[in-house]
Amino acid sequence: MSLLIVNTLPEDRAREAVRSLTARSAHSRVIHTGPLNIHPCVGCNFCWLKTPGRCSIQDGYEELLKAYLTYDAAIFLAGTALDFVDHRMKDLVDRLLPLATMYTHIVDGQCRHVPRYEKKYRFGLLYDGEADRDYLDLWMDRVMLNLGGVSLGAYPMEQAKEAFPCTL
Amino acid sequence: MHLVIINGAARPQSRSNTAKIIAAFRMGYEESGSTSEVWHLSDRAQWAGAAQAFAASDNILIALPLYVENVPGILLEFLAGLEPKTTPGTQIAFLVQGGFPEASQSRCCEKYLEKLPELLGCAYAGTLIKGDMFGLRLMDEKEGQELLRPFTRMGRHFADTHRFEKETVAAFAGPEYLSAKECRMFRLFGRPVQRLFMGRMAKKLGCTGPLDARPYSTGN
Repeated sequence: MSLLIVNTLPEDRAREAVRSLTARSAHSRVIHTGPLNIHPCVGCNFCWLKTPGRCSIQDGYEELLKAYLTYDAAIFLAGTALDFVDHRMKDLVDRLLPLATMYTHIVDGQCRHVPRYEKKYRFGLLYDGEADRDYLDLWMDRVMLNLGGVSLGAYPMEQAKEAFPCTL
Repeated sequence: MHLVIINGAARPQSRSNTAKIIAAFRMGYEESGSTSEVWHLSDRAQWAGAAQAFAASDNILIALPLYVENVPGILLEFLAGLEPKTTPGTQIAFLVQGGFPEASQSRCCEKYLEKLPELLGCAYAGTLIKGDMFGLRLMDEKEGQELLRPFTRMGRHFADTHRFEKETVAAFAGPEYLSAKECRMFRLFGRPVQRLFMGRMAKKLGCTGPLDARPYSTGN
């Protein structure tokens, strides 16, 4: 299984976890988001209505969109704030919108956006800092529901070696 | 009673559905003599003022669009930069608006908001939820007013009670899930209706390709 590691932390803080994850995958790539200068979503909806599938913000995020489609699974390394992921991670997730179309359909009794690509995304979260793990698990489940994908769960960084046992 | 309102939407004020909802809410809130002020986080020049207002006020409402099951990244960034209060007496209420019609879509976010005030040294005063708001900025004034009128009513209610009680919110939020009949209708007519209306919106914006284009397709 090929693995994308998306690191939103300073590189030295993530080094050990990155090493653990790459050792468990035959084919992996690490993207450090710091140099990509990722901006928050501005809610313009251009990725749905004007330039379908493409974000209007000209920063490094396009590289991530392409990578999500290329790898079998993606693990995000994130900091925390207020018992949740920090804004760097939330900004990345807010900008997943181009992976969905504006069209909606009903899945298991709830409205969902129709996925843009035929891809079963598998995303997991490794977080560094204090957070409510049960809530992060719930949130990741909901995020992936919106993408028609599967959450690999949320794990504290110190469990990097044994995290995501069913995937890695 | 004075209310500090923080608009956590990322979209600029002039195009923000949340800003329109706040304006309607304030009309009701101020009818009986209460006062309010609004800070828009989409304008970073307002962040310092918003932080000062947060520190100085004991009655705060944070309004936000639902962004991928929680608060928008910019609101999270702002809140994480605040100094938590050390003396009790401040309450925070929330107003969450989303695009999907069902209230159940906002419950994951609500669960987080229930504990957020405590992390900021404040008390929780409830979350008002409303879905089906995506089209607000595309409506003409009359249609928009119709959609916004319930928020004016809730502004009046909040001026009286200073909180959003669960029962009031449930009645206001609308259906928790779509009914079986609505789901059937949606399956029958949803796609062609969407293609028509979204196609028109896209054309107005200058879109020339299909809305389900796959610019980064890898053959998946």
